[in-house]
Amino acid sequence: MTCTLATSSPEQTRAFAQQLGALLQPGDVIVLAGEMGAGKTAFTKGVALALGIDEPVASPTFTIVREYQARIPLVHVDVYRLDHVQELHDLGLDDLLGEEAVTVVEWGDKVSAALPGDRLDIRIEFGEGDDDRVFTIDCAGASWVARRDAIVAIAASATSAVEG
Amino acid sequence: MHLLALDTATEQVSVAIGRDGAVLGAVQLAGGRRHAEQLAPAIEYLLRETGVHQDQFAAIAVGRGPGLFTGLRVGVTTAKVMAQALRIPVVAIPTLDLVAYPLRHTSRLIVAVLDARRKEVFHAGYHAVPGGVQRAWDYTVATPAELVAELETFTGGILLAGDGVARFRDEFAALEHAERAGAEHSTPNVAALVELASARMEREEFEQPWDVHPLYLRQSDAEIEWDRRGL
Repeated sequence: MTCTLATSSPEQTRAFAQQLGALLQPGDVIVLAGEMGAGKTAFTKGVALALGIDEPVASPTFTIVREYQARIPLVHVDVYRLDHVQELHDLGLDDLLGEEAVTVVEWGDKVSAALPGDRLDIRIEFGEGDDDRVFTIDCAGASWVARRDAIVAIAASATSAVEG
Repeated sequence: MHLLALDTATEQVSVAIGRDGAVLGAVQLAGGRRHAEQLAPAIEYLLRETGVHQDQFAAIAVGRGPGLFTGLRVGVTTAKVMAQALRIPVVAIPTLDLVAYPLRHTSRLIVAVLDARRKEVFHAGYHAVPGGVQRAWDYTVATPAELVAELETFTGGILLAGDGVARFRDEFAALEHAERAGAEHSTPNVAALVELASARMEREEFEQPWDVHPLYLRQSDAEIEWDRRGL
């Protein structure tokens, strides 16, 4: 089942991500799909706020992985600069996807076969206006089914939410 | 005949020096995920305390997985490099076999289950045969629910072993005809590695270091398809 919602500024994206972040549990994996500038990092900043991370969250495009300590630690991965799935394993992906942390993988749709099946898939697309974004959230992952209603509620509370 | 045995496919680092199939000395370090820092000092310690010189080794025995990439590579690489430097062969034994082999005196189906992270397990089933165990199905990566569904169709008694069983105890509790083996069977057994590898050496079933590959089970060789990169 998927649901969609629209935001019209990075601040709204962050606020939505923060609400979603409150539902997160240790071991969760979020896969973010979307072009450059779609707002994958803006979204992750909101998640980080929800997890109680007070240090600034920057795009990990050049470091590939950034880890943040908090009540629930955050592992922020960006696979944009990788060419082979093997590199993901060279980074110690198995260890990063620990039981304690929430893992957010930017461009994760490109390496989905190497990621856990139990995950939340979020696609971010450009809307009509410069700052408009459309989020498509797929909560097919086993542990997300129970949180589906809460996610739908968050999506519905945003003004322009459409359930699909 | 002396051999060095090591397995780093799980969170545990295990090293032993064996002679004629028996353990002369062993080190097991649990759960630190510090394979790279701990393995070489553990080997040095065992060499020193057993008085065995590395030139006496006839082979290096290594657990070849399936297991976690980070740890597994440390063990397999160390085995290959040492074997190449010492000009001796490698005996690579699947890590799940090292969980099942110590349970070979049961008539039940033995199922070795190791935590693969990502809410998945590596598993294989075994039947006891004279002198050892025989695998009932191929090494597999699956969710605990998938394995439980498979095992539910099996009507005989089941003995579950490996750290994946405790990790997913709620899922496996659904199996009425299954029992969990004791905590000493939760990790790959390095004495089993010494014993199995020594038997292989006697049958001259060994590999050259460059032919040894870890058993990953997860896709790793694919190229990532980028349609808009390089613009």
